[in-house]
Amino acid sequence: MSTTDSDQQSLKDEIADLERRLQDAKSRLSPSDAIETLPTLANDAALHALFLLSDSALPLGSFAFSSGLESYLAHHRPSPPSASQVPSFYAFLRLSLSTLASTALPYVLAGYRSPEDIETLDNDFDASTPCTVARRASIAQGRALLTVWDRSFKTQYAGSTTANGRSETEGKAHTSAVEILTSFSKDLRTSSHLNAHLAPLWGVVTNVLSVPLRDSAYLFLFSHARTVISAAVRASVMGPYQAQSVLAGAELQKRIRGLVEEGWNKKVEDAGQSVPVMDLWVGRHEKLYSRIFNS
Amino acid sequence: MAFTSPFAKAASKPGHGSIVVALLPPDTPVLRTLSYQYPLKLVAPDPLPPSGHDDKDGSTAPSLVHTVFLLTYGGGIVAGDSIDLAVRLETGTRLVLLTQGSTKIFKTADPSMVSIQKMTVTVAPNSALVYLPDPVQPFAQTAFSQSQIYNLENEEGSLCVCDWVTSGRSARGENWDIYEYKSRNEVWTSGDKAKGIKETRLLLRDNMILDKHGQTGIPLAERMDGYSVFGTLIIRGTVFAHLSKFFVDEFEALPRIGGRDWGDSVSPDLTPKEQRRLDRQQREKTNGVVWSAANVRGFVLVKFASREVEGSRNWLRDMIREEGSILGAFGERAVLCLK
Repeated sequence: MSTTDSDQQSLKDEIADLERRLQDAKSRLSPSDAIETLPTLANDAALHALFLLSDSALPLGSFAFSSGLESYLAHHRPSPPSASQVPSFYAFLRLSLSTLASTALPYVLAGYRSPEDIETLDNDFDASTPCTVARRASIAQGRALLTVWDRSFKTQYAGSTTANGRSETEGKAHTSAVEILTSFSKDLRTSSHLNAHLAPLWGVVTNVLSVPLRDSAYLFLFSHARTVISAAVRASVMGPYQAQSVLAGAELQKRIRGLVEEGWNKKVEDAGQSVPVMDLWVGRHEKLYSRIFNS
Repeated sequence: MAFTSPFAKAASKPGHGSIVVALLPPDTPVLRTLSYQYPLKLVAPDPLPPSGHDDKDGSTAPSLVHTVFLLTYGGGIVAGDSIDLAVRLETGTRLVLLTQGSTKIFKTADPSMVSIQKMTVTVAPNSALVYLPDPVQPFAQTAFSQSQIYNLENEEGSLCVCDWVTSGRSARGENWDIYEYKSRNEVWTSGDKAKGIKETRLLLRDNMILDKHGQTGIPLAERMDGYSVFGTLIIRGTVFAHLSKFFVDEFEALPRIGGRDWGDSVSPDLTPKEQRRLDRQQREKTNGVVWSAANVRGFVLVKFASREVEGSRNWLRDMIREEGSILGAFGERAVLCLK
């Protein structure tokens, strides 16, 4: 598996390299009227969807949660109290991403690859989320994503089966994924078994929006990092410019890429907690004397 | 010339074992099956009547509680060992599973050679299992994977099971110096097909994975944030309803983190219960025990961690003793591993 993956990767790299060289050669041929090649429409559509989902104005309510950061800081009071909490924050960010990748990422991938399993995935993710605080956060954001889909994206993305340069089979898969989302959203109102957790729904929604899977997984982890970093700003751990520099950092990029690669073939059955103390930090958030976040 | 043995072929394979507790009519619980094969060993002392008969809830508690010790030859698991235990509790029975000392995991020369321990428990309606073992103690340079799968028929049946792990031989300076440790606890239910529910459904999955993955760049010991014990207690069912409530209530009663004592909240007259609670909370603080309890899908899931093994052991014992229902319904033996 890993050899084909790396083969594929090296092929992709080669294609990118060739394209770059072609562009380069063309521009050197006649600098005055360089031919700008337009990328295909499918790429455009995927990019557009990616922008929609990565917008911090997307109303998922992520800002209300700190993913355990606030509780972590309360369990790690600096001494003296005036000392910087930034080093401690960096450690938390890494652990938090690692936890998300080991617990939730397999469900994103599975939701994307097999939207028809959404009910089982939703149930199993719910069964695997041990603390009420984390579960409230996940369900709140999952339901919000479903609402955004229903009210905002559906009219645009539900109809066009063979639009956006899809082949017929792709069109069919797209239609069935849309139907799955629609019926899940309808059943959610009546069934007591469904929860609407974010991770599997993120997979299905990004599938319907034709975002490539790798991008979908990357954005899922990136959004989490952004949420935690933004929580750090509001918890006065760091300033907004420092926050942006963490977010832009090569280290974060490398980490997210590595986590996506590591989790690419991980089955949902093997999802689990890689940082056991995280469950305690998140679970004990309810016990904080003062709180600015929901979780 | 082929030689045909006059004896029946042994059904058991290395490391395999089986326990079946059944009810002999009218109401005598018996160990119908108790079989095992090297390196697994099962020891069943005489069953005892539960010490406190609580007839107040009108339940049909069985007259005897069976106990089985899960042992391994040499007191631990050697690289490459594979243990597979099947347990079945039939309707109206109770069972206590125990270990004799921590489950030691011995060093492996090859990190890819993972030792495996599997236990599958089927719990019929109106039966109850208590499994409060000693912790698993993986030594340095070990690779171990265990799974405990519980099947509750019709979502009934009661469970009180604990799974905990330590950082190794701390006296020798070992501190999570393992290659890999995985522990999986799952509770499934086999639903009623007639009602249109799917045949099996996952109720709870608690999966801990400690290995080199995760891109943290932080060594395992540091990832554990100074704790050398982590554990999960899973409680479910009518038999443990009071115990479940006790854990949730005590969690609610924990002092707020970062709260200040302004001196105006001290009530001069504490009831004995409040005094014991205060003493326990004081011990939690001294022993560095942190814990949380949550109501999740009909379970109460308790997570705990402490700086030293004894901290968690004493805390768990204190909690179970204070509440008292396990001792009443299963006898003193049920908490033997917490002594």
